[in-house]
Amino acid sequence: MREIVTLQVGGFANFVGSHFWNFQNELLELAEDPEADPVFKNQDLNMDVFYRYGETYQGTPTYTPRLLSIGLQGSLGSMSSCGTLYNEGSSASSSVMTWNGNVSTQASEPHKKNLFLQSLYAEEQENDIQREITDRDIVQCLENDVQCWTDFSKSHYHPQSLYELSGMWVDAQKFDNYGIGRDSFCGGLHGEEISERLRFFVEECDHIQGFQFIVDDSGGFSPLAVDFLESIADEYTNVPVLLYAARGPGSLMDPLSQKHRISRKLHDAVSFSRLSSLCNLIVPVGLPSLSRSKASNFLCIKDEKPYHCSAAYAATLHSVSMPFRMELLGPSANSSYACGALTVNEAVQMLSGQARQNMVTILDAAMPAPSLTGNQVKQTLLGSLQPLTPEISDHVEDLQSVASMTVHGVLGSGGQRASISEVKDMVHSAYEHAITRPMFCHLSVAQCPLPIPLPFPSIFSNHVGQHGEVLGTPIIGSPSRGSLDVHTIPMAGRLRSSSAVLPFLENRLGDLRKFGFARGGVGAELLRSWGFAKDESEDMAETLSKMILELNPHSQMSSDSD
Amino acid sequence: MSLRVLNPNAEVLNKSAALHMNINAAKGLQDVLKTNLGPKGTIKMLVGGAGDIKLTKDGNTLLKEMQIQNPTAIMIARTAVAQDDISGDGTTSTVLFIGELMKQSERYIDEGMHPRVLVDGFEIAKKATLQFIEKFKTPVVMGSEPDKEILRMVARTTVRTKLHEALADQLTDIVVNAVLCIRKPEEPIDLFMVEIMHMRHKFDADTRLVEGLVLDHGSRHPDMKRRAENCYILTSNVSLEYEKSEVNSGFFYSNAEQREAMVLAERRQVDERVRKIIELKNKVCSGNDNNFVVINQKGIDPPSLDLLARAGIIALRRAKRRNMERLVLACGGEAVNSVDDLTPDCLGWAGLVYEHVLGEEKYTFVEEVKNPHSCTILIKGPNDHTIAQIKDAVRDGLRAVKNTIEDEAVILGAGAFEVAARQYLVNEVKKTVQGRAQLGVEAFADALLVVPKTLAENAGLDTQDVIISLKGEHERGNVVGLNHNTGEPIDPQMEGIFDNYSVKWQIINSGPVITSQLLLVDEVIRAGRNMRKPT
Repeated sequence: MREIVTLQVGGFANFVGSHFWNFQNELLELAEDPEADPVFKNQDLNMDVFYRYGETYQGTPTYTPRLLSIGLQGSLGSMSSCGTLYNEGSSASSSVMTWNGNVSTQASEPHKKNLFLQSLYAEEQENDIQREITDRDIVQCLENDVQCWTDFSKSHYHPQSLYELSGMWVDAQKFDNYGIGRDSFCGGLHGEEISERLRFFVEECDHIQGFQFIVDDSGGFSPLAVDFLESIADEYTNVPVLLYAARGPGSLMDPLSQKHRISRKLHDAVSFSRLSSLCNLIVPVGLPSLSRSKASNFLCIKDEKPYHCSAAYAATLHSVSMPFRMELLGPSANSSYACGALTVNEAVQMLSGQARQNMVTILDAAMPAPSLTGNQVKQTLLGSLQPLTPEISDHVEDLQSVASMTVHGVLGSGGQRASISEVKDMVHSAYEHAITRPMFCHLSVAQCPLPIPLPFPSIFSNHVGQHGEVLGTPIIGSPSRGSLDVHTIPMAGRLRSSSAVLPFLENRLGDLRKFGFARGGVGAELLRSWGFAKDESEDMAETLSKMILELNPHSQMSSDSD
Repeated sequence: MSLRVLNPNAEVLNKSAALHMNINAAKGLQDVLKTNLGPKGTIKMLVGGAGDIKLTKDGNTLLKEMQIQNPTAIMIARTAVAQDDISGDGTTSTVLFIGELMKQSERYIDEGMHPRVLVDGFEIAKKATLQFIEKFKTPVVMGSEPDKEILRMVARTTVRTKLHEALADQLTDIVVNAVLCIRKPEEPIDLFMVEIMHMRHKFDADTRLVEGLVLDHGSRHPDMKRRAENCYILTSNVSLEYEKSEVNSGFFYSNAEQREAMVLAERRQVDERVRKIIELKNKVCSGNDNNFVVINQKGIDPPSLDLLARAGIIALRRAKRRNMERLVLACGGEAVNSVDDLTPDCLGWAGLVYEHVLGEEKYTFVEEVKNPHSCTILIKGPNDHTIAQIKDAVRDGLRAVKNTIEDEAVILGAGAFEVAARQYLVNEVKKTVQGRAQLGVEAFADALLVVPKTLAENAGLDTQDVIISLKGEHERGNVVGLNHNTGEPIDPQMEGIFDNYSVKWQIINSGPVITSQLLLVDEVIRAGRNMRKPT
C-alpha cells in the first residue's frame, strides 16, 4: 500500500477539498451500485490510498478519508467537528458530572441544515415519513445558498479530521495577511494538537507515499501552513509533500487602499517564498477570473462564488491524483482500464528534478476533455488544456519543459469510451504534430471518467452533453447545466514544469524588492511587523531570484542586486 | 473634520465616547466571566450551532471559545490569555480586575477627573502592591524534599474551582505526585514530561496516575504479544522502512531488472538494521524469559514488522517525539539514533507492557518501571467534553504545583490577600501621595475588592455584609478570607486555601497596564465599519 495523507488548510482549501472528497465518495458509491455504468466497476484505482478503515465505538466499520482539515472556528457550519459517524447519542450527555454547583447553558442557535444535508440525513435514518425532497430543489438550494464547505459535502469524516482554530478573535475577512496568522500554529496548543492528529493518520500507514497538501495561501493560513510544513519536514523527513497553493475568488478582488494593496502584494511574495522552501513541489492554483479565462470555454462560472470555482479546481486535482492510486503493474502487464501509475515521489522527481531544479509547477486542465473524433482533434486536446495557474505567459518555447498528464474517461468515435491504447496513440501523435514539444511527458490514462455528484454546482455551459461530450449546437433552455443534466465528464489534467511560470515568479520578486526594500516605506515597516528582519527578507528575495535563474539564466531580475 | 475629507467613510469617536466604549467593553467582558470565579461559580455549557458541546469553568477556555468582535474586548482578552500562558491560571481574575479598574475610573472621570491623573495613581498603587505582596507572601522552603502538604493545598485550591470536591480531591494527589515524579533537583520543571492521556469510558469519570507511560498506539502485527512481562525497552529513532531515496527515484532505470536490483539493495539495508536489533535481543534475552520491546519514532514497514515478530519482539512505530524523552526518563536507557552501536546499556526496563484496545483505538501501557522520572495521568470520561474539562483542570493543577515549587512561596487565598492589600493601600500608601493621584490609589484599592466581592456574589451571599465584616477583621489585624459556605470570615491558613504567588503577581502587574492604555485613548478612528453597530 502506498498511502497518501491529505491536508487542507484554510477556507478555500476546504472548499476544494470538499468537492474532491465528493468525487471520491461518488466513485465509491458507483462501484457498489449494480445499475451504474460498468466503467466504474473496474476502475483499477485503489481507493485505500486516500481512505482508511476504522471502527466506531459500537463496532460499526467505517471507511473515511485520511484527511486533516484546518479551518477557522465557525467555518464548519452545521457539521459537528467530531464528524458524523462517531457520535453516540449526543442528547444523553446533557448532565454535568464534574460540577455540583450551578450550570448555565449557552446554546447558540442551531445551524439550519440545508435541503441537501437534510436529504442526506433522512437517507441515513431511512425515515418512512421522509418528506419529498427532489433533486431539483436540492440543486437549486445549493446554487443559491452555500455558506460553508460543509454545506455541500456528502462525505463522512473521522473525528480526528476536522480541526477548528479557536481563540483567534478575527473574522474571516480580516484574517488576510501574513502577520495576522503568524503565531496561530505555535500559539496555545494548536500546533501540538494538529501534529498529534497528523501522527494519528501517519502511524497507521504501512508505507506512506506522500502528503497532498492544499493550502489557501491568500491570508493568515499561509504562516500556519509554513509552520506546519516545517514540523512535517522535521518529523517525516523523507515523505514528499505535494503542495497546492489554492486561492479563492475573493482574495483576488482589487483592494481599496494603497496600503492594503502593498500588504497584499508583499503577502503574496512572502507567502510564496516561504511555502515553496518547505515542500517538494508547489502548484499555484486559482485564476483572478476563472470565468473569463480560456479554461472555462465550456463552463459557466460565477467568479464570486467559491462553491463554483473550487469545483473546477477540485476536478483537476482529482485527475492529477489518479496516477497515485493506479495499481503498480509490472512493465509487461497491461491493464485495459488504467495505465501510467506514478508515486508522489516519482512525480515530484520527474517534474522538479530532471533537466532543471524547478519546483514551481503549472496546473492545466481540459474540462471537459474533447472526444477523439475527426482529425482536427489531434490539436484540440493539447489546445484545450488551459492553465489554472495565474500570471503565466501563454506562448513560450521551452525545450526543457517536463509534464505529467492524466487523461481519463475520454470518448472515442461514436460516443464509446476510447480504449487506453487509442488515447495513448492519440496523445503521442498530438505531441508529434505539436509546434512546441516538451522535453518529456509522462502520460497516465484511465477509462473511468469524472462522475458528477449531485451537490456539484451547475457550471457546465449548454454545449456540454450528458456524458461530457461537446455539442455542436447548444441545448436550448437554461444557460448552465449541473449534476442533473451532466452525469460524467472526460477530463484531462496536466502538471507542467515550464519557464512559462517566469512572470509569476518575477512579479513576486519584483513586488518584494519594490515594496519591501524601499527604505522607510510602508512595505518595509510591514515586513518588520510580520516578524521578518531585513536579512530574512533578503533571503526570501534570494530564494526567488534563484528560482528565476534556474528557469532563465539570462534573467535581468537576478542580476539586479541591491 | 479633516479626516472626513480624506475618507468619507471614516468614523471618529470623540474622547468621551471612545472612553465609554472602552469602559463598556471591559464591563461586558467582566459580566460574562464573573460567574466563573471560585468554588461556588457557575460551570458553563456551550452548545455550538452544530450541536458540539464544550464544558468549561475556566476563563481561558471560555475566552477562546467566544467569538469576540469588539476591539477593546479583544485587547483585554489577549492580556488575560497571555496571563494564562505565563502563569497557568488567573485569566478570570485578570478580566475581573481590569473590568473593575475601568468601572472605578468611570466614576471619577464622570466627575470630571482627567484620566491621566488616575493612571498616575494606578502606577503608584501598582508599585506599592507589588512591594506589599513580597511582605505578604508565605515563604515555603522547598529543599530536596518539598512539603507535600502545602503543595497539596495549593493544588486543591485550584482544582476545586474547576471540579466538584470528590473529583478534585482525587486529582489533587495525582497532580502533586506527578510533579514530584518528574522534578529533578537544580533543574526547571518541564511539565511536558507528564503525559496526559485520555480514554473514553461509558459511565465513569475516573483519573489515575500511571507510573510509566501510556502510548496511544499499539503494535501493528497480528503475531506480536499483547502482554509481556519483564521487558527490555529499546527507544529508537531509526527508519525501519524502505524509503525511496531521492537519487534512486524509479525514473532512471533503464530496465526492469535494474530496478529490481535497486529495490533489493535498499531493502537489504533496512533488513540489516532490523537484524542488528534482533541480535541485541538475542544477546540480552537468551537464557531467560525476558521480553524485548522496540518503540520507534520513525516508521516500521510490514516486512520489518514481520522479521521482528518472528524474533518475538514487540514493536511500535511512529511514537510521539516527546515520548522518546519520556520513555528514557521513565524506563532508563537512552534513545538511539542509529543501530550501529547498540549495547545492552541503551536499553530501558519495564516490568509490564500491555495493550488495551477500545474500538479502533489502541493503548500501550508501559508500567512497573524502576525510578520513573516521567509519568502519565490517565483520564477516563464518558464523553469528549467531560474529558476536555478534566484535562483543563489537570493542566491547571500541574501548573499550580509547579509554580509553588518554583516560587518557593504562596499567597493566602479566599480573598484574604485582596482585602489586606486594599487596607495597606488605603491606610499607608495613600497618605504618602500628593494631590489628586490619591484618588487613583483609592480607585485601585477598591478595584482589588472585586475578587472577594465576586466570590461572595457567586456563593449567593450579601456582598456588602461580607466586605464589611472582612474589612473589619483586617482592621483588627486578623488576616482573614471568606468562607463561601457561611459568609463568615475564616483563616485561609487553617483551611489550607493558598493561591500561587506568581499568578497574583502577574495579575497585579498586567491589569493596570492595559487599563491605563484604554483610559488614555483620545479618539477612535475607524474607516469602513460601523462601530456603534451591535456586535
